[in-house]
Amino acid sequence: MTSTRADSGRGRFALPAGVAWSNYALLAIFVVLVVVFCLTVPHFATWANFANVLQRNSIIGIVACGMLLMIILGGFDLSVGAVGAASSVVAAALIVHVSMPFGIIAALLLGLGVGIVNGFFIAKIGINPFVTTLATQVLVTGIMFVGTAAQPVYGVPESFTWLGLGRIGPIPVPTIIFAAVAILTWAILRFTTFGHHVYIVGGNKLAARLAGINVDRVTILTYGLGGLFAGIAGVVLLGQTNIGQPASAADWPLTAIAAVVVGGVPLSGGVGKVGGAVLGTLLLGIIANALNLLGVSPFWQPAVTGAVILVAVGIDSYQRRRLERR
Amino acid sequence: MSEGTRTMLLDMQQIRKSFAAGPVLHGVNFQLARGQIHALVGHNGAGKSTLMKTLGGNFADYSGKILLDGEEVALHTPKQALEKGVAMIYQDFSLIPDLSVADNIGLGRDPRGALPGLISHSALRRRSAEEAEAVGIRLPMDTPVRQLGVAEQQLTEIVRACSQNARILVMDEPTARLAPAERQHLFDVMRNMARNRGVGIIYISHFLEEIREVCDVVTVMRDGRIVETGAASAYSVQDLARLLVGHDEIATIASTSPPRGKTGAPLLEIEGLAVAGRPPVDLAIGAGEIIGIAGLIGSGRTRLARAIIGDVAAAGRVRLAGRDLARRTPQRSADAGLVMVPEDRKVSGLALASDIEENMAATALAPRLSRFGIIRAREKRALVESLIAKFGIRPPDRKRAVGTLSGGNAQKVLVARAVAARPKAMILDQPTAGVDVGAKGELHKLVELSAAEGAAILLISDDLDEILALSHRVAVMVGGRIKEVLPREGLDRASLLAAISQGAPAA
Repeated sequence: MTSTRADSGRGRFALPAGVAWSNYALLAIFVVLVVVFCLTVPHFATWANFANVLQRNSIIGIVACGMLLMIILGGFDLSVGAVGAASSVVAAALIVHVSMPFGIIAALLLGLGVGIVNGFFIAKIGINPFVTTLATQVLVTGIMFVGTAAQPVYGVPESFTWLGLGRIGPIPVPTIIFAAVAILTWAILRFTTFGHHVYIVGGNKLAARLAGINVDRVTILTYGLGGLFAGIAGVVLLGQTNIGQPASAADWPLTAIAAVVVGGVPLSGGVGKVGGAVLGTLLLGIIANALNLLGVSPFWQPAVTGAVILVAVGIDSYQRRRLERR
Repeated sequence: MSEGTRTMLLDMQQIRKSFAAGPVLHGVNFQLARGQIHALVGHNGAGKSTLMKTLGGNFADYSGKILLDGEEVALHTPKQALEKGVAMIYQDFSLIPDLSVADNIGLGRDPRGALPGLISHSALRRRSAEEAEAVGIRLPMDTPVRQLGVAEQQLTEIVRACSQNARILVMDEPTARLAPAERQHLFDVMRNMARNRGVGIIYISHFLEEIREVCDVVTVMRDGRIVETGAASAYSVQDLARLLVGHDEIATIASTSPPRGKTGAPLLEIEGLAVAGRPPVDLAIGAGEIIGIAGLIGSGRTRLARAIIGDVAAAGRVRLAGRDLARRTPQRSADAGLVMVPEDRKVSGLALASDIEENMAATALAPRLSRFGIIRAREKRALVESLIAKFGIRPPDRKRAVGTLSGGNAQKVLVARAVAARPKAMILDQPTAGVDVGAKGELHKLVELSAAEGAAILLISDDLDEILALSHRVAVMVGGRIKEVLPREGLDRASLLAAISQGAPAA
């Protein structure tokens, strides 16, 4: 705060100071919370517990990375839950009836395909992201329920659970996949022309088009990646449950959006970093974990998550608004 | 005049108004009689909109006296002005698009229904229809305003203003987007309101011919002062253009040397390019040549520019260095070496939350600064830093968000973005709008440098001095058509202003 005040004489330089502050604020809140929980919550500060938190939140983290891309682009995706459930069902069915690699690849292609369809309708037809992804979510869920007659798909070999429950050394396998997806997302945003175009398109679509950026292609590719990541998450989900469950993952879209916005990424688009999405995911994760360990009723958890979103995003937005008003 | 002895409808005395940058109105006296149509003309920045905004109650801190029908009034808020009978009709309409015409006319004056809090729609519709008829305007009362043409939207605004018992109607460029027949209808409505209802109309327009056609009196403003008032019929278009520019300034402009530098063979060729509903345009720009496009607001310059790069669908052909640019999109044009600097950097130019580097590299990124989609970071950084130095962008920090820069520096980023792509041809749409004098001069030098390096440049600008300072030739655009292409020699501000102000506005 002091840096902001010191800058107030030079009004137009105040904004970056505020933005930098909010970046570190999230990290600071996270560190403070971890320290407080370590000191006050029994059994929190054990590696077994940390591994548990990581393993439980990796799936949402993978989804949040895709969601981050779409939010930077100025949109979001409500169909990631349906896509995750569908890809886990498809993977289960194909693993049982055909082969494991085929099942995994088909599940990922399904995610990519639905994402590309989302992008197509948003970019080329001009339906807004909310309506488009709401429709595909319902559509995919419906087809999946028809295909499975709403019955879970059993029979996936026990060995497949390594993907969801296994460890490499002390680290859960899902967390390694999450880390890989996060690093991939970071690299895309940092090193590729596509990644830079995502920021520009999200910041000002008209300007991007007039600057010679193919906005439609960037949009389709972004939603394609979002769908692909949801597909990856679906396969990892199958690894945790070993059952292709059609009625799962319904909470993914909103939880992933919550993780990204708690990570300091505004829904208005044009800005956002992978670190924010990762931190947001873990922040919500450790809060849920701490409540669990303290024996608080699980029914309280959504309420606390809601309060965290309001407080974290509220501080950030209020800060921004004050800076803009000056 | 005999009216001088009677009390005026409006008498503004010694109006002064300053902004942070300095005084804009230096003690202006302005009078309007009942039933008079009074033209107010002046260059951008002459102070006419500030004067009208003062009348409309937009400033709480003007000094001077305003008398309405001889009675002194304080107009410190738009509401006060409206209550005293001053109605403003702006270019961008203040209508609600999805409500019907009748609803818009009655906006804020809901007739009471059966119970408090309810609205009687039939009463509203009946009243609005009566109010339209009273001023001799026919409108489809049940149609949503969104579905109306520009002319009918304007008439809806006029009915609404009159139904609030407006005594003074201020119309800001009302005909800029109207077809000739619609203009005639508007003029009939204006005459009817002035003659039969005694409404005083203040009419702001850049179409000098229209002023002679519809106005009784004309007042010319320049540099925050009124330089002349007289009967509109007494001035020719050339007289008015000369008054707008000012005599001493003509001399200074005439002495400015036309741009030097040779121009080469045609590089950017435009053949029969026709945007829907507009006449076709032909233009050939040589290597190293700057062609200025001068025209009034609404003359179709920006649409032409967007059609050239392929953002707006158009018939006809565009060739760059002899190569036909078929099925153009802004991306394909940029890859071929034809880039645009869009007008209005905030709306269509920059991603404000992104930093200087990302904005500056946006166009050059895919064709020049990457391999297989992976950015060559070191070259990008070197290019951006060299351009920051070349353009003198302050602060020279490539990671600073563009939204935090001053207007001049943001505009430099936008022009640098085009230059970074090493274009064969550039279209500049208002490249120095809202930029301070220093940055403007620097931008002009950089544009000339690009031309000297062999780029073909199309320059769209409202600033006639800018066009005269930079262009080898000047294309005059009227009603979506290039009326003529004039050599720079022998042009001065007054003759150019007269050229763009003649002829019908956009059809």
